[in-house]
Amino acid sequence: MSKSTPVAEELESVAIRFAGDSGDGMQLTGTQFTTTSAVFGNDISTMPDFPAEIRAPAGTLAGVSGFQVHFSSRDVLTPGDAPQVLVAMNPAALKASLPELERSGTIIVNTDAFTKQNLAKAGYKSNPLEDESLKGYQVFKVAMTSLNRTALESFDGLSNKEKDRCQNFFALGIVFWMFERPLETTKDWLFKKFAKAPQIAEANYKALQTGYFLGETTETFQQRYIVRPASLPPGTYRKVTGNEAMAMGLVTASTKMGKPLFYGTYPITPASDILHALAPLRNFDVRTFQAEDEIAAMGSVLGAAFGGALAVTGTSGPGIALKSEAMNLGVMLELPMIIINVQRGGPSTGQPTKTEQGDLLQAMYGRNGESPIAVIAPATPSDCFDIAIQAARMAIRSMSPVMILSEGFLANSAEPWLIPDADDIPAIEVKHPAGRHNGDDPFLPYKRDPETLARPWAIPGTPGLEHRLGGLAKAPETGNVSYNPQHNEQMTLERAEKIARLADFIPEQEVFGPEDAELLVVSWGGTFGVVRTAVSRSQRAGQSVAHAHLRFINPFPRNLESLLHRHPKILVPELNSGQLALLIQGKFGVKVEKFNKLQARPLQIGEMREVITQTLGKG
Amino acid sequence: MSETLTNEITLTRKDFVSDQTVRWCPGCGDYSILAQVQRVMPELGVEKEKIVFISGIGCSSRFPYYMDTYGIHSIHGRAPTLATGLAIANPDLNIWVVTGDGDGLSIGGNHLIHALRRNVNMKIILFNNRIYGLTKGQASPTSRVGKVTKSTPMGTIESPVNPISLALAAEATFVARSIDSNPQHLAEVLSKAAAHKGTAFVEVYQNCVIFNPDEWNALSDRTNRDEVTLNLEHGMPLIFGKDKDKGIRMRGFTPEVVSLADVSLDEILVHDATSKPLASILGSMENPEYPAPMGVIRDVRKPTYAAGIMEQIAQAKAKRGVGDLNKLYRNDDLWTVSAREENQSEMAGELPLTLDEEYLDELGRAAVETTPVQDQLTEENVSALNPKVPITVDAGSSLSRAIRQMNRHNIGCLIVTDEEDRLSGIFTERDVLMRVTGLVDDLAHAAIGDYMTPNPIALKADPPIAQALHLMSLHGFRHLPLVDEENRPTGVISFRDVVEYLNRSLA
Ligand SMILES: Cc1ncc(C[n+]2csc(CCOP(=O)(O)OP(=O)(O)O)c2C)c(N)n1
Ligand code: SF4
Ligand SMILES: [Mg+2]
Repeated sequence: MSKSTPVAEELESVAIRFAGDSGDGMQLTGTQFTTTSAVFGNDISTMPDFPAEIRAPAGTLAGVSGFQVHFSSRDVLTPGDAPQVLVAMNPAALKASLPELERSGTIIVNTDAFTKQNLAKAGYKSNPLEDESLKGYQVFKVAMTSLNRTALESFDGLSNKEKDRCQNFFALGIVFWMFERPLETTKDWLFKKFAKAPQIAEANYKALQTGYFLGETTETFQQRYIVRPASLPPGTYRKVTGNEAMAMGLVTASTKMGKPLFYGTYPITPASDILHALAPLRNFDVRTFQAEDEIAAMGSVLGAAFGGALAVTGTSGPGIALKSEAMNLGVMLELPMIIINVQRGGPSTGQPTKTEQGDLLQAMYGRNGESPIAVIAPATPSDCFDIAIQAARMAIRSMSPVMILSEGFLANSAEPWLIPDADDIPAIEVKHPAGRHNGDDPFLPYKRDPETLARPWAIPGTPGLEHRLGGLAKAPETGNVSYNPQHNEQMTLERAEKIARLADFIPEQEVFGPEDAELLVVSWGGTFGVVRTAVSRSQRAGQSVAHAHLRFINPFPRNLESLLHRHPKILVPELNSGQLALLIQGKFGVKVEKFNKLQARPLQIGEMREVITQTLGKG
Repeated sequence: MSETLTNEITLTRKDFVSDQTVRWCPGCGDYSILAQVQRVMPELGVEKEKIVFISGIGCSSRFPYYMDTYGIHSIHGRAPTLATGLAIANPDLNIWVVTGDGDGLSIGGNHLIHALRRNVNMKIILFNNRIYGLTKGQASPTSRVGKVTKSTPMGTIESPVNPISLALAAEATFVARSIDSNPQHLAEVLSKAAAHKGTAFVEVYQNCVIFNPDEWNALSDRTNRDEVTLNLEHGMPLIFGKDKDKGIRMRGFTPEVVSLADVSLDEILVHDATSKPLASILGSMENPEYPAPMGVIRDVRKPTYAAGIMEQIAQAKAKRGVGDLNKLYRNDDLWTVSAREENQSEMAGELPLTLDEEYLDELGRAAVETTPVQDQLTEENVSALNPKVPITVDAGSSLSRAIRQMNRHNIGCLIVTDEEDRLSGIFTERDVLMRVTGLVDDLAHAAIGDYMTPNPIALKADPPIAQALHLMSLHGFRHLPLVDEENRPTGVISFRDVVEYLNRSLA
């Protein structure tokens, strides 16, 4: 037991960053911490930060893999700005993450990894643990590799290499102790995960315990932190990432339609996890199809939509570029389908594992000709669930493609999700025209519903409704090929009007804050958490600011125009160079202030607050 | 448009003719192919509404407009991808893909390969006119070396692709060839393709009268075509010629044309549509060096892609039951937040809670439906319990001394303080029982600091009795220290104090 008792400091919230080589299992460590905190009842939010190259050389800056966890006794809307605690498994991890660490933050380092060689690989001229460069931080130096090996001495069956792989659990143990997390969840997980290799499970658990006891029994750690359970609305919770929520939303939609879910896709970061989540769900009649490329994936979606399935594809920006031609055909065929773009940093291959909102205009206008599609964007990881269901409803109502603009940040971040009761989710009504007999009026595949302007969804297998669809210009009602100028104009306008009329179907825009606020901040997508937190803090500080977060971008909510005219100042923060701002200015003719960040990283609460203050101060 | 629906399928050629005017150039080979397809369709025994034609872009790809079936005229090269999605969504359909040599082998080459290897249930007819027809006469990937076209005025300098060899390399399960100028043969091949389960690939030599009119002259000339084509029949020897006087035999790895006058029939190859090596040899035999092999080159059975998916679905349902959304949502670590308790998750270890504002808020809200005792517990503060003066020791005190002190004062707990007299631990009767008795031999030399509970939960200021009770019941404590703003112990309350208090107030 400790000779001088450590001081337990109570915090409202903490952000911790785990950083190591991509081979060190830092993602796993972060995930375990997140799960435990969630079970413990803290509101959490996480952001994994993978290296772009999975096999970057060990010990180099390019190979650093990180995972940030923010947990709190209050609602957590973001993974936190600057972390207060950094767990660095080697010099490169320290170097890459130090700039983000809060001043006077806590650093736990594995001193065994601070060899000459590793220091050189990370570009350190001298050892930062020995010189002055970490002055002002609380540094805890732990010889993790050797302590861990000693702890695992009795595991004769394991090689040193295998023992070293347990090191991340050793580090996790220390952190569990610092934050008073129970070990049980992780223990259960280990023994489930390694059920076939109990020795590995034991070794990892031993490493975890040893790390925990190290905290308890040595004098190294003078500080421990406590974060109380959060108070969330009553109900049963789990943690969910954006991609997981999206997958569950899609299966829910197809089940509620009584249709198979067809998911045709080509692997691409950060969208692949949707495929991984859906592929095992064959018992839900989920038909995943890994195509030869994104073009084929999109083509297969057109075919499946024609066949009457809930047809969905998911990809990231470069994949959308390839899908565009087939998406455009989807607009002409007027079939319901969902296209998910989990945006990454761009342009081109850009930053596959990073986040950005650069594809909004591509979604809106990235096809030849006049080709409107509906565009919606989830605000939080768990919102992906609702957005997926909403997308299915909109696609079926308008018989048209719907694009979901998610983001790498939302896709990989986790938050607590108040689990709904599936029975409370209303059915999604799907109508197919009935078969026809000889002597009936001829079937008109493009005869529109007077209210929604949708054409009938007649599917192969229905007698008497045989018809041909195609990408060539068409005559109204029959859909026959027609180059008649009037036909072309009428059909183009009808396709656009059909999307515009979805505004009657989606909810009105809500505003957080007073009606007479001087400034309205208008954001969309994954910036929700940061912007909402910043606005709410500014409000508490007495500033006259309100927040409208858009989930529906095409069409915009029907009351948006009047809201924009209600507030004297409009501020649009985005992780791009001003794409929503351009749309709003162009459509509503209002003047907007922009705040843009192009670092392929989430916005920060602090900088957002500064911009609010600046904008309010402007004449 | 559509015709009657009756139970037994009695369809005629006319049922498959749409109301659209056919717009190919007069004399185009596409007419013949359309006519043969419309002739074969009624014989398939498939309801018309189950037949779907999907094409890409090109003259040939206009085809679906002329068939009175379901159809999609899609985009350049991508027809197999739509057909794949449709076959997966609805495995019962009878799907045909119509493509050209540019559509299927240039822009759509990749999709063709993958549709073939996956064995998706679709019939692909590739109209090979060795030219780009729709875009008015550029070279195609099947144009011969040296071919002069609009895009290659000095002749092409690239090697053409051999569609049959490509299909075989892609593991196609059915590969055949025919020609527009031999309707009888074409109809037969199409019927066989239709009967195949899986991807069937049929290359049809097709005449573009406008941009490549002489390409198939030799093979189409009725007076001579038997001399230059090799008609394949499974199980029959590879012989050809007007008088059936020539055959194919192997010399080393190379097939050679021999005269049956010189060579015995035993030496002639016999067609076996299930043999892959033989299919490769046949695929590599190109006219004019060899007679052009016509008919079914390969025909084997393999499971189809959509059937594979449907089988997995059936298996998954049998094993795990039909998907249940509520179970899916809950397939992870769960925790419950109830309206009164903030949190019911398992909490290992003790939580150093201090005055909990949210808890008090909750008590305030719940006040509406409380009993008088509850009211009293929330209104009166712990000072009403007459807290005992804390008996404090420092962490270095020996266990023997500590236990003596507890006995002397007749108390159940000692408060441990640091150098600045701040609360650092608590040592209770239970610690004596659980951690000391029978475990520690030398009580005089063991320090209490090693056996106490460090950083115990303490009550700051003077909170309502209800909060003290709540903490006691939540964590099973019998004692709670009271501290001032500086974290210095000011008192101790025990469960017994609460009982006595209740006794007093109920009396
Ligand atoms: C993306 C795209 N690129 C180019 C074209 C133009 N294009 C249409 S058909 C065609 C070639 C058609 O040749 P083939 O497939 O041999 O068909 P044919 O007309 O000879 O039957 C081309 C290049 C197009 N429609 N789409
Ligand atoms: S251009 Fe050639 S292929 Fe096209 S329709 Fe005319 S003849 Fe047929
Ligand atoms: Mg051609």
